[in-house]
Amino acid sequence: MIELENITKKFPGADSFSVDRISFRVNEGNICVFLGPSGCGKTTILRMINRLEEPSSGNIFVNGKNVLEVDPSGLRQSMGYVIQQIGLLPHRTIEQNVGLVPELLGWEADKTRKRVRELLEVMGLKPDEVVRKYPHQLSGGQMQRVGVARAMAADPPIMLMDEPFGAVDPIVRIRLQDEFLSLQQKFQKTICFVTHDINEAIKMGDYLIILNQGRLIQMGSPIDVLTSPADEFVLSLIGEDRGVKILDLTRCETLMEPMRETPDDLMGSGCFVQSIQPVKLALEVMMKKDSDHVAVCREEKVIGLLSWKNIKKHINRVSGEDE
Amino acid sequence: MSPFYFILNNFSLVLEYAMNHISLVLTVLVLSLSFWIFTGLIISRYDRLASAVISFSNILFCIPSISLFGLFMTMPGFGLGRKTAVVVLVLYAMMPLVRSVYLGVKSVDASVVDAGRGMGMTTSQILLKIRIPMAWPMIFAGIRVSVVLITGIATMATFIGEKNLGRLIHQGITRGNADMIIAGAIIVSLMALLLDYIMGRIQKKIVSPGLRFQPGD
Repeated sequence: MIELENITKKFPGADSFSVDRISFRVNEGNICVFLGPSGCGKTTILRMINRLEEPSSGNIFVNGKNVLEVDPSGLRQSMGYVIQQIGLLPHRTIEQNVGLVPELLGWEADKTRKRVRELLEVMGLKPDEVVRKYPHQLSGGQMQRVGVARAMAADPPIMLMDEPFGAVDPIVRIRLQDEFLSLQQKFQKTICFVTHDINEAIKMGDYLIILNQGRLIQMGSPIDVLTSPADEFVLSLIGEDRGVKILDLTRCETLMEPMRETPDDLMGSGCFVQSIQPVKLALEVMMKKDSDHVAVCREEKVIGLLSWKNIKKHINRVSGEDE
Repeated sequence: MSPFYFILNNFSLVLEYAMNHISLVLTVLVLSLSFWIFTGLIISRYDRLASAVISFSNILFCIPSISLFGLFMTMPGFGLGRKTAVVVLVLYAMMPLVRSVYLGVKSVDASVVDAGRGMGMTTSQILLKIRIPMAWPMIFAGIRVSVVLITGIATMATFIGEKNLGRLIHQGITRGNADMIIAGAIIVSLMALLLDYIMGRIQKKIVSPGLRFQPGD
């Protein structure tokens, strides 16, 4: 658990606070996304958690311990750190890069080697192909994966990620996000994730913290933020397509009308979705099949019917428009 | 008579001069490397000191070598001989070495250092495991420039009593003996090329293949 108490940060020579009286808590096993435009203080907050920056005032607790009273090197070794520029050491092989923190912690060579191979595999890289390579021989996506593998090397319970997928093209980014989310299902790390991309924030975050000019503007789950943005700033950050974004986060079962029997022609023509799939997918199916309804299934069984009318009603309700 | 015959006919003399020359160069090289690499590392941590030290080395480098040899010769405790020659040549090697070490260490990509710090490396671990290894290509560029430089300027030490290849050139000039001048010049050049080649081989051993795409091979 990470807890910030009234944190402020003013860089020497700056006129205003980079981070202004911010308090929040990140629960264990959650991905907490810091979202905001450049210069809003999100990176500074992240860097204060592992003491790459020192707060001007306030306290930060990690698992109940005040970080200012902990040795900074030890603190950082106990947290994974991923940055947009990746920062792989160009003079070291991939194996040595991933094994960096274990090396600092004084692990035995054999244990480190095993761990490195295991992690590269987890990150979707072929260990035999990459361990002896140098960073400049990899593609951007591969380097990004190595960066994440390196951060996870000593199995830290906490990960700090500063736009970790920012330097790759959109297609690779989406794949990395998906893979990372499914890893998170398994490993349940406590993650602080910095991004300026609202779509990434909504996709990755269990919890969003929205910042502007050093101030905390709003915090809450993605659906909270989308349905009730705190002010004009948050509204503009979310963008015009708020309703559609909400559909991406709403499960079909939430909007469906329960029913036992569904017209066979819907099922037969493939016009159905799973109950936990997002409503956006249901829309996609409706468009493809040119239908106003889709059947909602739980596994093989039909449990309800989702209609275009309901979806429209929902969008209008949550985005506060008149019907 | 050609330079080649001159060397053959005066082989033992030429050999003696060449041995003196290379022993001077190697002495200077060992001392310079230990002093100036160390100095470069020190000033990379103290920026204010850095500009003063680098300006000083630039000024030294601009003084004509023959006058610097002469100047030191007249100073108490120096006089004619090897000690003066070594000190002056070490001072000449300061500029390329200190500067290349300083720039090499300083120009390491900030994001790599930041990642290292974020992983929990201490300042000295960052120096030893990141900054120095990544600075090697540039440091070697400086070393190779100074090796060639020292070998050439060492010829000037003949004026303060060094019996080296500079003496062939100097006496060749006073006697109007072109073969003698050319013989001296050729051997000095070959020596510089050889030392540079050896340094290149060492560089290949030390610089990580991950940095090979950088210039200076």
